[in-house]
Formats: sequence, C-alpha cells, structure tokens
Amino acid sequence: MAELDPVIHAQARLRIMAALATREVGESVAFPRLQELLAMTAGNLSTHLRKLEDADYVEVEKTFSGRTPVTYLSLTRTGRRAFEDYMDSLRSLLGQ
Amino acid sequence: MTTNDDDSSDALTPAQMLGLLQDQQRSVQGQLGGFVPVIMLTWGIAWLLGFGALWLIDGARPGFALPLGAAIAVFCVLLAVAIAVSTVLGIRSSHGIRSTRAAVFTGAVYGCTWWVGCLGIAALGGGLVSAGMSPAVANLFYPSAYVMFSGVMFIVAGAIWQAVPSVVLGGWTVLIAAVAPYFGYPTHYLFLAIAGGVGFLALGAASLVRLRSLRSRVVQAGASGASAGASGAPSRG
Repeated sequence: MAELDPVIHAQARLRIMAALATREVGESVAFPRLQELLAMTAGNLSTHLRKLEDADYVEVEKTFSGRTPVTYLSLTRTGRRAFEDYMDSLRSLLGQ
Repeated sequence: MTTNDDDSSDALTPAQMLGLLQDQQRSVQGQLGGFVPVIMLTWGIAWLLGFGALWLIDGARPGFALPLGAAIAVFCVLLAVAIAVSTVLGIRSSHGIRSTRAAVFTGAVYGCTWWVGCLGIAALGGGLVSAGMSPAVANLFYPSAYVMFSGVMFIVAGAIWQAVPSVVLGGWTVLIAAVAPYFGYPTHYLFLAIAGGVGFLALGAASLVRLRSLRSRVVQAGASGASAGASGAPSRG
C-alpha cells in the first residue's frame, strides 16, 4: 500500500478525482453540479476538495455568473498526472 | 452513500478501490448522458407519427384519408416538439459544466450546420421545382433529402463526440433515405415512419438499458463500502 498516493487513496477523494478526470482538459464543473454527480453533502465535498486543493491536484476557481458567485472545479495538470499514476499503481498491484 | 465519504478506505482493497473508481466514472458519464434515451424516444415517436400522418393522406384510401392540412400540421408540431425537447434537455445536461473554448466552437458550428443544411435543401428543392420537378417527384425528393441529411449529421455527431450508437443510427438513416423513393408515393412515408421510428426507439431503449446498468453499478459500489467483496472487484471496459 505504501506506493499508493495517500491524498487520492481515500474513498471520497478518489471519487472526486475520478469524476473530474472524466472531463476534458480545460473543462470544469460547478460545485453544485459536482455535488449532485457524486451524491455527497456540501460539507463533505468541501472538506475533501480543500485537501485536494492543498495538494495542488484540484483547481478551485471562484467567479460570477451575473451576480451569483459560482465555484468551478477542475483537475490541475499535477492532479491529472497523479490520478493516472494512482490508477497505474492500482493496476500494477493487481497484476493487470 | 455519504456515510462512506470519510477516510475509511483502509478497509478497501486495491481491487475494490479500482472498482469504485471505474464505477464512479461510469456513473458520471451515465448521469451526463441521461437525457439521450429521452431524446431518442421523442424522435422515435415523432418519426412514427409524423411520417405516419403524411402516409395517411393517401396511403389508407379508400378506407381513410387524413386531410393534407391536418397531416402537415401534425408533422410540423411533432417536429417542433422533438426539437424543443432535444434543445431543453441538451442545455440542462450541460448545466454546471464549463466547456473549453474549442468544445463550444465545435458545438456551435454543429448546431448551425443543421439550420444551414435544412435551408440549403429547401432552396435546392425550390430550384428543382422551378426547373420542372413534378409534385410527384418532389414528394419523394424532400423527405429523402432531409432524412439523408439528418443521417449524415448523426454520423458527424458520432465522430465528434465519439458515440458509436450515433454513427450506427446515422448509417441506418442514410440507408433508409436512399431506399425510400423505391417504394414510391405514398408507401415511402410508411417505410420512413417505421424504419426511422423503429431505429430511434431501438437506440433509445438500448441506451436506457445501458444507463440503468451504469447507475445500478455505482449504487452497489457506494452502498457496499467496507464490506464490499465481489461487487467491488475490478471490471475492465
């Protein structure tokens, strides 16, 4: 297990990373939509997003749609690479 | 599902983590594509009833004849409803997703191409009519021209968004457009109604089944948590 990235190796964060990795590079997902796609509570999602942001895996962009503040989330280049590495490590652990 | 959203992954094996990861990705794709079966079913019904109405102008004589005006009205209303449903659901599905500039451009060009093509066919048909195309031939030309153009657009959509079912539907649609005139008026309308409508309905049903299986898998993955055994096993594909 030592070689698995501990930032990603937690169910909630793995699910967040997996969901964001389905988007193309440059595409981002608004916070409420991500919450809906993952069926997570807002508090839970925020907590884990903060850890991912601290690791520079997720980019959090706060902007406005008219007067309403919107937060868009996407994988950073580091995050995408880390996710791919994590997937590779899992596969090699499983001998695939 | 939210009960498992803490750092409790020590209990999950690598196989289960890989399974969770893949299920989550399928679930997201499934949720974002959830509108596709509805659009397909709407278009299937619109084709069946719309071309069916055109066929009923002369196709069921002497037993029954739908007045020309009524048939065209039914056809246009169904077409408008199907376009409206597709537009609304398409917009709703992409809600909260911010695309890249390139993707926005591709989508806008694709959307405009529908209008350009439809207007182009109308103009082409007008030109042929003024050059002497008879109403009998025009009756065969217009539906096949529009249906063939739609088929080509489905293939293009499949190529852009890497959706094989759309390529299959497009190929089928081009084929029936090419074959329809050989049935002659008014049977070609009946052929388009059934062959086109069934194509959409079959694809709609197939995508519904596929989406259902995507959702049930992630429900299993989310609910299984620490006790996940077989359901968390990795499955490729």
